[in-house]
Amino acid sequence: MSDRLQIVTGKGGVGRSAVTAAIALDAARSGRRVLASAMTDSIGLASHFGLETLGYEPTRIEPNLHAMVVDRAQSLDEYLKMQLGLGKRIPLLPLSRSLEALSETVPGIRDVVTTGKLYHEVRSGNWDLVVADGPPTGQIMSYLRASRVIASLVVSGKAREQADAMTNLLAAPGSSLVMVTLAEELPVTETLEALGELADEELIALRTIFVNRTVEALGVSESVLDDVDDVAVREAGQMHRALYENQKHWRGELPEHVALPLLFGEHDPTAVADRLASAMSS
Amino acid sequence: MTDVVLVAGAGGVGKTTLAAGIAVSAATSGRRTLVLTVDPARRLATALGLKRLSNVAHPNPDLEELWAAMLDAGASWEAIARRHAPPEVADRLVASRFFDAIARQFPAGAAYAAAEEMAEQVESGSWDLVVIDTPPSSGGIDFLSAPGQMRSLVGGRALKMLTGGRLPGRKSFFDHATKPALRLMDKVLGGGLLQDVGEFLFDLRHTYDGIEKRSKSIATHFEHAHMVLVTTTDPSPMAEVERFVAERPGNTRVPVIVFNRTLPQEWIGATTTETNRRLVENLARWSQESAHQDAVRSTWRSRHDRLTMVEVPWRSETPNEIEALGSLAEPIWARLGIGD
Repeated sequence: MSDRLQIVTGKGGVGRSAVTAAIALDAARSGRRVLASAMTDSIGLASHFGLETLGYEPTRIEPNLHAMVVDRAQSLDEYLKMQLGLGKRIPLLPLSRSLEALSETVPGIRDVVTTGKLYHEVRSGNWDLVVADGPPTGQIMSYLRASRVIASLVVSGKAREQADAMTNLLAAPGSSLVMVTLAEELPVTETLEALGELADEELIALRTIFVNRTVEALGVSESVLDDVDDVAVREAGQMHRALYENQKHWRGELPEHVALPLLFGEHDPTAVADRLASAMSS
Repeated sequence: MTDVVLVAGAGGVGKTTLAAGIAVSAATSGRRTLVLTVDPARRLATALGLKRLSNVAHPNPDLEELWAAMLDAGASWEAIARRHAPPEVADRLVASRFFDAIARQFPAGAAYAAAEEMAEQVESGSWDLVVIDTPPSSGGIDFLSAPGQMRSLVGGRALKMLTGGRLPGRKSFFDHATKPALRLMDKVLGGGLLQDVGEFLFDLRHTYDGIEKRSKSIATHFEHAHMVLVTTTDPSPMAEVERFVAERPGNTRVPVIVFNRTLPQEWIGATTTETNRRLVENLARWSQESAHQDAVRSTWRSRHDRLTMVEVPWRSETPNEIEALGSLAEPIWARLGIGD
């Protein structure tokens, strides 16, 4: 069964958007038609494609690769009107604004409607794979549960239909969750907590755990290192060694995962995404 | 007079660790200090003498004068409702199926709950210093706007948005609910949900006066608070700090900017006679990273030359012992100049 939808999650600061962009680039470069989608804030994902923001319609990034953002007021309005069978020009109190007002009080309503747009793209037949830069790890479970919560609050209407469609989409073969973490205490702990809940609730399949910014072993023994005269060489070596040991400890807490490299001195967002994509394909 | 230190920064920059470190430094200098922390890693919580999920202040077993408490947003929301609404309304609110959602999801809620807790603690007169590790807020690290966002939430922003501008009366809202625009929402949401949400939001308005009054005292505490903004040289936390600095209200103190995880500058361009190839390559890698950090900090410095900047060295492992926490944050504590 090949992938159709991958939702990427990770704690703030672990490089979730970079990994999302890299997954999309890697898949597109192996010949699949790919849509990369930001769920809320598009700035992070856009920067890895060399753009400032993303539009609410798929825009071409490179051969086989398009990108968009699902959660923008205008796109929601159009989407809702389309769902309700209303003309685009009907002057109405913006539906998205009402929805925004309600989303503070009705858990998951926004998630369900924005996922509706994603669902639409997955079903459109335009893409072999849709990769979504999803909510942070701390919110991923409430995001994944949103459709069931809405189904329990709302007995009828469009939101209920959307909710059921979302539940089915997430559970369908080909849909999966990708987790991004660092080999440090807090992100690993959050990842393990989410994994536990994921296993209990069977909302979506787990695809891959990426451990970002890992270093390889120094390859020099501690005794050799401690005898080095040059202070900078010794201290850089000792630091690398300690970092490697600490990362090894936290990686040991995780189940099977894919390690992505720490890119020393490389911080340009497009170059980072490129290099992570190369690391994924090798 | 209680001093307040607000520690803000994007997720993953080491804010919680440094907030704890500042508190350790303060307690070491003999000040009776409380650190209010949000979500400490287990080892840090242990070092602080905290049991998970306890928002009661605990004394530290190893350091006299150091106390710690953990903010629990859920429990704080119930406290807020009970503090500011009449008992029967508070009961209805807490029992509502929407209450839990608001408590967990309203973006500025955790920050506001923290601010109330800060005000309670500052006004208790029990502390020389209160250090707050600020929770994430909707405006990124903008903790200061939380009371305003909270007032607009309980003041009926949602009700206004639903009826198109003016705050409706209870009766007119439910009359309104039969009008076309809201009928359309009913079509989206299914019958009845909008009515229930409306009832809940009207109940929530009962907390408005109390929260407005509290916001005023919170604003006074914010004006006097020392602010510490923590960042790394990564683009997204830098962007948050830039925004905070640009939007800072004029009546608050100038923040101290902390660049956490700074690599030694001596590594930049270092040459060596070392012959071990692996070690030479390793220095070259770290030297590149250090040079990048240095370039980012120089750019920052040239644009914000009037802001105090503190560099905290990179550690390969997060310090979790009281002593290490204190020495890590000592340069920040010194720059705050509290009690000088």
